[in-house]
Amino acid sequence: MSHPGASSFSFTLSSSPLSSSSRFGARVGTILYRRPNFNEDIEVHTPGLLTATSRGVVPHLSRDHHRSTAAVRWVNVPFETFLEHNPPVPTLQPGANPLHKFLGYTPGKQIMSMSARDLYDGREMPTNGQNHVAVYSLRGVRKLSPTDWWKYVNTCQPDVVFALSDTPFTSPPHSQKRLTKSIERSAAWLATLLRPTPPSNPSIPPIFLHLSGLTNAAARRAFSSSLLEPLYGPELEAIAPLQTLDEGVVGYSVDLVPLRQSLEALERKNPHPGSETDLNPVLPTHTEQIVDLVQASLEKLPENKPRLVNSTESPHEILRYIRDVGIDLFDAHWAQRAADIGVALDFEFPVRQAGKRDIGHNLYDSQYTFDFGSFADAFRGAAAESSNDKPVCPCLACSPLSPPSRLYHGYDTPDVSGEAPRTPLVPQPHFTRAYVHHLLHTHEMSAHTLLTMHNLTILDLFFAGIRDVLSSSPATFDEEVEKFVQTYRDVVSSDGIPGVFEAAKESWKQVEMARGKGRLAREKEKQELDGTLGTTVDVQIEGGPLE
Amino acid sequence: MQFEVIAKCHTTKARVSRMTLAHGITMLPTFMPVATQAAIKGLTPQQMESLGVTLILNNTYHLNLRPGLKVLNEAGGAHKFQGWNRNLLTDSGGFQLVSLSKFTTITEEGALFASPFTGEPTMLTPEESISIQHTIGADIIMQLDDVVSSLTTGSRVEEAMERSVRWLDRCIAQHEKAGKKDTQNLFAIVQGGLDPSLRDRCLDAMIERRNGVAGYAIGGLSGGEEKDVFWRIIKQCAARLPEERPRYSMGIGFAEDLLVCVALGVDMADCVFPTRTARFGVALTHRGPLNLKLSKHAKDFQTIDEACPCPTCTDKVSRAMLHHTITHETAAAHAITLHNIVFQAQVMGRARAAIMEGRFPEYLKAFFTEYFGDGGYPEWCVNALRSVGVDLLEGKPDAKIIPGSGAKWEYADNGTPSKNI
Repeated sequence: MSHPGASSFSFTLSSSPLSSSSRFGARVGTILYRRPNFNEDIEVHTPGLLTATSRGVVPHLSRDHHRSTAAVRWVNVPFETFLEHNPPVPTLQPGANPLHKFLGYTPGKQIMSMSARDLYDGREMPTNGQNHVAVYSLRGVRKLSPTDWWKYVNTCQPDVVFALSDTPFTSPPHSQKRLTKSIERSAAWLATLLRPTPPSNPSIPPIFLHLSGLTNAAARRAFSSSLLEPLYGPELEAIAPLQTLDEGVVGYSVDLVPLRQSLEALERKNPHPGSETDLNPVLPTHTEQIVDLVQASLEKLPENKPRLVNSTESPHEILRYIRDVGIDLFDAHWAQRAADIGVALDFEFPVRQAGKRDIGHNLYDSQYTFDFGSFADAFRGAAAESSNDKPVCPCLACSPLSPPSRLYHGYDTPDVSGEAPRTPLVPQPHFTRAYVHHLLHTHEMSAHTLLTMHNLTILDLFFAGIRDVLSSSPATFDEEVEKFVQTYRDVVSSDGIPGVFEAAKESWKQVEMARGKGRLAREKEKQELDGTLGTTVDVQIEGGPLE
Repeated sequence: MQFEVIAKCHTTKARVSRMTLAHGITMLPTFMPVATQAAIKGLTPQQMESLGVTLILNNTYHLNLRPGLKVLNEAGGAHKFQGWNRNLLTDSGGFQLVSLSKFTTITEEGALFASPFTGEPTMLTPEESISIQHTIGADIIMQLDDVVSSLTTGSRVEEAMERSVRWLDRCIAQHEKAGKKDTQNLFAIVQGGLDPSLRDRCLDAMIERRNGVAGYAIGGLSGGEEKDVFWRIIKQCAARLPEERPRYSMGIGFAEDLLVCVALGVDMADCVFPTRTARFGVALTHRGPLNLKLSKHAKDFQTIDEACPCPTCTDKVSRAMLHHTITHETAAAHAITLHNIVFQAQVMGRARAAIMEGRFPEYLKAFFTEYFGDGGYPEWCVNALRSVGVDLLEGKPDAKIIPGSGAKWEYADNGTPSKNI
C-alpha cells in the first residue's frame, strides 16, 4: 500500500472446503486484522459472528460489559443514525481513532466496521438516486452520496467499511431495469470509495462489498463479472493502481432483509408450488432460493475472501449457509433480539444430548419462577461443581466474577474500615432463571443486560463448535448438522406449537402493556416493525410508581 | 450490628462511624442506592460492588408482590436471589401501601389494602411486615409505621405518630420472637409530621425503646414540605437520638440535602433520585446537574466530569455520545447511572474524609461554592448550616441567596425546566 500506516487485513482458509461442490463447501478460516499504529493482530476465527449495534452501542451493555464479553470482537456500526446532524457528530471527534473513541470500542482489540444503513431495517424508503442512497435518521430521511461516504469513512477511520450499495427499499418486486441500475450504481459507488486518497490522508480501510442483483441470478452474475473485468482508460485511472474493482475488496456480504422482501413480493405475484424449504419447517422461507442466488454471485469470485451473511434468523439457517454456500461470517442480530424479548439461548454444536427441544428458554414463562438453574442446560457456570462435566458458559450471567477492583471514596479503605479487600475475579454463583424471570416481569433493564451477554456467548460457542468439527472431523459435519436440525425445534411455530420466540414476544408485549408506561413512540413503532435492535426497555418518561 | 463512632466534627453535628453488619462493613455517613425490585436499574451487583457501594436498599412491598416470599425463601433470601453479597436494607412496605394504593385503610391492627393480584382485602400488620422482612433477609429492616403525608395537618398526624409507637412495640416483639437479632437489625422510624412537639413525644417514646432497636430513621419528611421546616425537624430528631445508634434520613438524595443532613448528625440516606434522574439523561456533578438531553451537549466531547473516578468518566464517554443515545438506548442510562451512583458516593466519601481530618466546615463551604456557583445559595441551606456553626456566606458579601427549595437544575435554552425527579 502506498500509504504509511495502512491497516492490514488477511484471510486464511485453514481447511480446504468440504464436499464435492468445493467452491461452496463448509470451510474454516482466520481473519488477521491489524490497525495502523497497533502492534497486535486481532484474530477472528471463521465461521464466526459480528455483533450488531444500535445508535453505535451494543444494546443493553455498558462498556465494561461488552469488553468483557469475548464474543464481542467485531461490531458493526450503521452510520445513518449520525446523519441527524450535519456534519455528523463523530466526524468532529478530536484525536486519533475518532469513531472508536466516540463509541468506546477498543482500537486494536475490537474490529469496528461501518455500514451506511442499518442492515436489519427493511422499512420502505424513498428511491435512491443516481448519486445518493436514501438513509434513515430520527430526524427523517437523508441523502447520502458516495463522495460523502468516502469523506465520512476517511474521517472516522473504522477498521472495515461496507461500500455504499444501491439496494432499493421501495416497494418490491423490482423491475429488470431497476436491477440493472442497481448493479451499475453499486459498482460505480465502489469505484468512488476506491479512488486514490491524497498522501496526506489515511488510506481507506479494508472494504466489504454487498453482492448486488437481488432476486435475479443473471443480474447477480453480471454484478460479480463487473467486479472482475479489467478496467481501461479513465475508469482505470480512477482506481489506480488497482486493475479491477475486485482487487479493492477484501470480503463479500449479502444482506438478507431486502432479498427476502423481494422474494416474498415475487411469490405474492406468482405463487408457485412449495419449494423444499417450505416443506422443511426449520428454515425460514426462501432459504433454498437464497442459497442458489448467493452461489450465483460467488461462482466466479475468488474463493479466498471472507463471505458475510447479514440478518439470518436461526442457527438452523446459519448451518445451511455454512454447509451449502461456505459462508464465513454471520451477524448476531437475531440472538441479540432474543435477549430483547426475554429468551435465554440454549443450544450447542455438536449436539451431545438427545431429545427434541427448543433453542432457548422464554424466561417470561411461569415454569421458571422457581428455577434456580443457570440459563443454559447445555453449559454450566464457572462456579458450579466441576464434577458436572458440561462445558462452561463464560458469559457474565452464567459465570460472574467478583469485580477486578473497587473504588474507595474517603475513609472506607481496608485500613480504616478494618475489612480485608475481597479477592478480585473469583467466580460467583450464576444468575438464575428465576431471577431473570422476576426481572422480566418487573420490567427491569438488568434482565436484558444479562441475556445479551449470554446469548452472544452461546452463539460464539456454537461457532467454536462448528469450527472444531470442521477442523478435527470434517467428515462428520453433515451428520452433525442433521443431528442439530433433528434436535432443535424451529424458532417459529411448527406443528401448531408456537416457537420459543413467538411465545416470548407475546409475553414481552403483555408486560410492556402493563408496565412500560412511558416508552417512546418511536420504540413502539420499532417493535411493531420487529426490525431494529435496542429497545429502550425501561426508559420511563414519567416517574411512575414502580420504584 | 456493631456501631462505632470514630470521629466527630468539631463544629457541626457530623460524625464518621463504622457499621458492621452480617454482610460486611459500611462506613458512615453513606448514601444507599435503591434497588426497588432487587436490581439497580440495568446494572449487575458486581458493577455495584466495583463502584464501592456497600449498602443498597430493596423495597419490601415490591418484593412481596414479585417474586414473592416463596421464591425468596427457596432462593435463600434476597441477597442470594440478586447475587448481592454486601449489606442490604429493606423498608417496611408501609410507605408504598399508602403512596401506591388509594384504597389503603389504616386500622389499629394494620394496613388494609386491596391485593394488587386479586383485589381482595389484605391486611399488612406490623408482625407480618417484620416476618416478610425476615424472609427477605436484609441486614437492616424497618418497623411498619403509620405514614401520613408531610402536608397532612390536624389530629391524624398525632394519631399516626402514636400508632407508629404502638406498632414499634409489636415489631420489636415479633423481631425478638423470631430470633433473628444476630443477623438482622430493626430500625425504628420517628414520626410526628412537621410539629416539633409531636416529634418530641415520638422521640421520647422511641428512645425509651432503645434496647429493642438497632437504629433510628427519621420518617414522614421529603413529601413536599417547606425546606426550612424540613431541616429543623431533621435537626431536632438527630440532636435527640442516641449517640450510639445510626440515624437514617429516609428519601433524601439531592447533594445539598445530603450534606445538610450530615451536618445535622445524619448517618444514612436513600433516594431513587440519582438512578431515576440518570434515566432521564441528567448527570450529577460537583458543579451541578447536567441535562444531557439538551441540544447544547450534542457536540460536546468533554466527559461528564474530568476528575470523576466512575467507569463512564474514566473511559472518557463524551457528553455528545450520551446525548446521542440517552432515551434511545438503555446503555446510555447505564452509563449515567454508574456515574450518578459514584457521584453520590463521592459526596459522602468526601464528607467522611473532611470530618476525619477536621475540615468538614471547609468542605461544606467549598462544595456549596462549586455546586451553586454564581446561581446563588438556597436560603434554607444557609440557615440550616448556620444553626450548626457554619456560615456559607462568610467572606462573601456579594453572594446571592435563593429563597424556597433552591434546588439546582439545568434548564433548556427556553427556560423551561426539564426536571424529572
